[in-house]
Amino acid sequence: MSTKRFTLMSFALMLLLSVVLAGCGGGKENAAPAKEEEAVQSDGTVDVSKLDPVKLKLYLIGPNQKDLPMVQEKINEYLTEKINVTLDINMIDWGDYSQRMQVITSSGENYDIAFSSSWAFDYLPNAAKGAFMPLNDLLDQYGEGIVEVLDPRFLEGTKVNGVNYGIPANKELAQQFVWRFNKEYVDKYNLDISNVTTLEDLEPLLKTIKDNETADIIPLAVPKSFKPYMPFDYQLGDEIPIGMYIDTEDFKFVNVLESPELKAALTTMREYYKAGYVREDIATLDGIDNFKTGKWLVDREITQPYADLGWSRNAGYEIVTRPMHDPVIYTSSAAGSMMVISSYSKNPERSMMFLNLLNTDAELRNMIQYGLEGTHYTKLDGPYIEDLPAMQENFAMPGFALGNMYLTYLHEGEPEDKWDAFEKFNSSAIVAPTFGFNFDTGPVKTEVAAITNVAKEFIPALYTGSVDPETYLPKAKQKFKDAGIDKVIAEAQKQFDEWKASNQ
Amino acid sequence: MSAFFKKVIRNRALLIMILPGTIWFLIFAYLPMFGTILAFKDFRISRDGFFASVFNSEWVWFKNFEYLFTTNDAFIITRNTILYNLALIILGLVIAVSFAVLLSELVNKRMAKIYQTGMFLPHFLSWVIISYFAFTFLSMDKGTVNQIITFFGGERISWYSEPKYWPFIILFVGIWKGVGYNSVIYLAAITGIDKSYYEAAVIDGASKWKQIRYITIPQLKPLMIILTILAIGGIFRSDFGLFYQLPKDSGALYPVTNVIDTFVYRGLINMGDVGMSTAAGLYQSMVGLVLILIANYIVRKIEKDHAIF
Amino acid sequence: MTQLSTQAAPQPGKVKKKRDYNAITPVWNVIFNIIIGLFSFSCVFPFLFVIIISLTDEQTLVQEGFSLFPSQFSIAAYDYIFRSGSELISSFGVTLLVTVLGTLLSLVLVTSYAYALSRRSFEFRGFFSFLAFFTMLFSGGMVPGYIVMTQFLHLQNTIWSLIFPLSMSAFFIIVMRTFFQTTVPDEIIESAKIDGAGEFLTFVKIVLPVSLPGIATIGLFSSLGYWNDWFNALLYYNNPQKTPPLQFMLMQIEKNMDFLTKNAQNIGSFDMAASLPTETVRMAMVVLATAPIVLAYPFFQRYFVQGLTVGSVKG
Repeated sequence: MSTKRFTLMSFALMLLLSVVLAGCGGGKENAAPAKEEEAVQSDGTVDVSKLDPVKLKLYLIGPNQKDLPMVQEKINEYLTEKINVTLDINMIDWGDYSQRMQVITSSGENYDIAFSSSWAFDYLPNAAKGAFMPLNDLLDQYGEGIVEVLDPRFLEGTKVNGVNYGIPANKELAQQFVWRFNKEYVDKYNLDISNVTTLEDLEPLLKTIKDNETADIIPLAVPKSFKPYMPFDYQLGDEIPIGMYIDTEDFKFVNVLESPELKAALTTMREYYKAGYVREDIATLDGIDNFKTGKWLVDREITQPYADLGWSRNAGYEIVTRPMHDPVIYTSSAAGSMMVISSYSKNPERSMMFLNLLNTDAELRNMIQYGLEGTHYTKLDGPYIEDLPAMQENFAMPGFALGNMYLTYLHEGEPEDKWDAFEKFNSSAIVAPTFGFNFDTGPVKTEVAAITNVAKEFIPALYTGSVDPETYLPKAKQKFKDAGIDKVIAEAQKQFDEWKASNQ
Repeated sequence: MSAFFKKVIRNRALLIMILPGTIWFLIFAYLPMFGTILAFKDFRISRDGFFASVFNSEWVWFKNFEYLFTTNDAFIITRNTILYNLALIILGLVIAVSFAVLLSELVNKRMAKIYQTGMFLPHFLSWVIISYFAFTFLSMDKGTVNQIITFFGGERISWYSEPKYWPFIILFVGIWKGVGYNSVIYLAAITGIDKSYYEAAVIDGASKWKQIRYITIPQLKPLMIILTILAIGGIFRSDFGLFYQLPKDSGALYPVTNVIDTFVYRGLINMGDVGMSTAAGLYQSMVGLVLILIANYIVRKIEKDHAIF
Repeated sequence: MTQLSTQAAPQPGKVKKKRDYNAITPVWNVIFNIIIGLFSFSCVFPFLFVIIISLTDEQTLVQEGFSLFPSQFSIAAYDYIFRSGSELISSFGVTLLVTVLGTLLSLVLVTSYAYALSRRSFEFRGFFSFLAFFTMLFSGGMVPGYIVMTQFLHLQNTIWSLIFPLSMSAFFIIVMRTFFQTTVPDEIIESAKIDGAGEFLTFVKIVLPVSLPGIATIGLFSSLGYWNDWFNALLYYNNPQKTPPLQFMLMQIEKNMDFLTKNAQNIGSFDMAASLPTETVRMAMVVLATAPIVLAYPFFQRYFVQGLTVGSVKG
């Protein structure tokens, strides 16, 4: 049997089989006109008797929890009463989430609601690909509560080509990097941190530790993902050096590697590296465990109101912080945690009604995060609860990925004005120049794939000071150029200008 | 046509035996192959399911392949992939066969069993664990190797930023992890060799070396040829963990660790483009197919029986 | 002379004598032992290391890093696993069931397919060889495979979704075919046919018994494939009501660690340390997931190592 004939036959066979398969997969019918329209009354209340029972399938991020079926049953009782909905909640573990959701959406599997964000099951490319349902009309009709409670900038920032595809969770909207200090060493050497803002300001402090402590105390304890703070609004994550100055006046994207700020920062980092302020093998360190051991002076972290308290509690020793800059609202920080409705969903109206309830109804919101009173927690005075052992063991849900945080209970030790502080934090923030603009990489994906590789090759080594910027920075610049960074910048600029023109 | 049916009837017994496997191949291998079409499309999701999405997506033909060829890295990744695989195929073959022969000749069979079990263990460890282990050897400050070097007064080496050592490290670890698995096949083949050959050789007074050279190796030859042909088909693919986890994704080592699979992984990790990843797989398969057809053709010319088809 | 006839009269005394006569010289034996012994030790060493880490005290590990001689040992990791361990034991059961069923199915499919290919008289050899071989190179990718399994066969969340994807492999078939060709001479089959045995009977009664080393190899590889598989569980067997296989649990922990370290800043408000098992527990899980299959290894091994000696007989 000749190969050629075989190839022909196999193609014919494949074709036949795929037709058969298409027959099996097809044949979906459009759902009858929604009853939801009649059920929602003019004052926003819902007349449940007009609603058919509906089951919604949810995919959420995080490890599966033993008590989920039990809690889900209670949630369903509650929801049946409210909007005649039952939930089928599916947890997919952190590391699997993006990959599995990719397969699920590409294969056309039915589900209603899923978690999406700028860092897992990426919101932007999937929205652009058509995986999510446009929500603007649904929001107007069934999501009034959401619009009311959310900082409007959340919805503004997560628009893709003018359309909302996701409901962001109410939490910190702005991003702010801080230096975290281990107070033990700050006190021991009486270090003055009140004037520390920039990377350069750290020098005398780092030197003190280096000179007076043993080698296992790392002065600047950061891993390979460390990047000196740059006043840029990055378009493709902080690893890829395409950004716009935060205080830009001409609204032009630039190659960050060519900026004088970066040059200065890299030179400083190189000095720190040579002085031994950072780990020698920093360029290959995925994570660093000095936080666990307490053998460090300073590192870099993203903050939120009262973060010091949480960090100190986790570490078991006191931690103090100094901000590197004012809080800034980026497009990506608005998309830190959101819920989307699948474009395959048969019940988008009811899904939106559920999301509305999740973001406005404290009882539901707390049930999905903290489980059942008496089993998983006990209620204390005011907004406070105390965890029972069953919570940690059988129902540890990632609260920040479950909708409006402002409705959730507080733990002992947390200040009562926690959520007010969040609101203040958000309103005090400045808005990044490209806020609301979402770069569609489709037209330049060949180049983006190439520069992503170059970034992984050069950025960690350069930004951590592991290599000499005098020789490596020109090399990196050249390599980025060869990989087509200019073309990507030009495309981003073109899209941005169009966006800007249509938004003014 | 009736000649064909006669042929079918003549071979019916064997055809029935082959039927279940054929059904499996059709359902689990050939049916999903329609997905290859995605390599030529700009995949967009439409509401009516996967097939509608595929048919509604725009044809972009070879645009999804461009990133594999147009960058400056294209040469490096292709070179690395081919050279490492060639070395792994050749060394792997020689070492696996030698170990199988050595094991079969050991006097104490119990020791042979123990050694062999030991050799199999790396196969069970995931690359993550192996890379931990390698790190305890090679880490800059606490690594065993550097401790030994400084003990003898040498200068410490920053292993994860010195590309020149890595071709050897990668080949060593690659062989080390795979040889136990591969030598099992040869060991089993040696066990299956007709013992009367050796008996005859002993009667003729042939030495042990002669027996290995003139009986064992020729008997293993068909298997060696076939496994090598198969390995050649995979020459554009690499064991991802060996090139990604083991060097800890260290940028300084890319010139000697970046292969097609790692390049594709890094390039697409943020975009998750189905079309581009399918395109990469198709490219690797096509090259493999061409190489295998050539290799098979050559083998067929020389020794018809040893060819795969 | 064939193995069939040697099987007739094995005389232990004679065999022993012959082996001594034909064994390698003691010097070479020592050299061989050293070469293989050293290599083998280098293979066992990491595993010993994993065992030691799993027995290290957690705090000691954080303070001192990995060490072959930790200052403080502890069995806390194993204690923790077995105390919270109903999940682990039932997932061990799932893995075992899938491995046994899968290996049996795969042996039936592979040997019968390979046997037909090994027969020179089979007139469709070329076609079916290519049919199998082609699948080694080309695959449709994850998404189409997922659609076939879930929308066409509807096998998601059944153990069949863990068994079927791995039950055939062109590699196994080609290796097995070569075994049949080299260890089973055509004459035996022809003579069996003359005696009136059909193809099927010849295969079961004559061919399989003399092909045990090959079958054991494929059986071993197949069971290893099933034992180590986690990817199919990720795609098809991911349901809160179902206990996942052992390797999937292990891989999930490794992937979570990686993900959470790399995305620490995005999920800063979530206490991630609490959701991850400690280093020692992970290593203990590696030990527990590997030990059973390593212990099962000798079962297959006797077919490769025993009977290697000239003149000895197995069947």
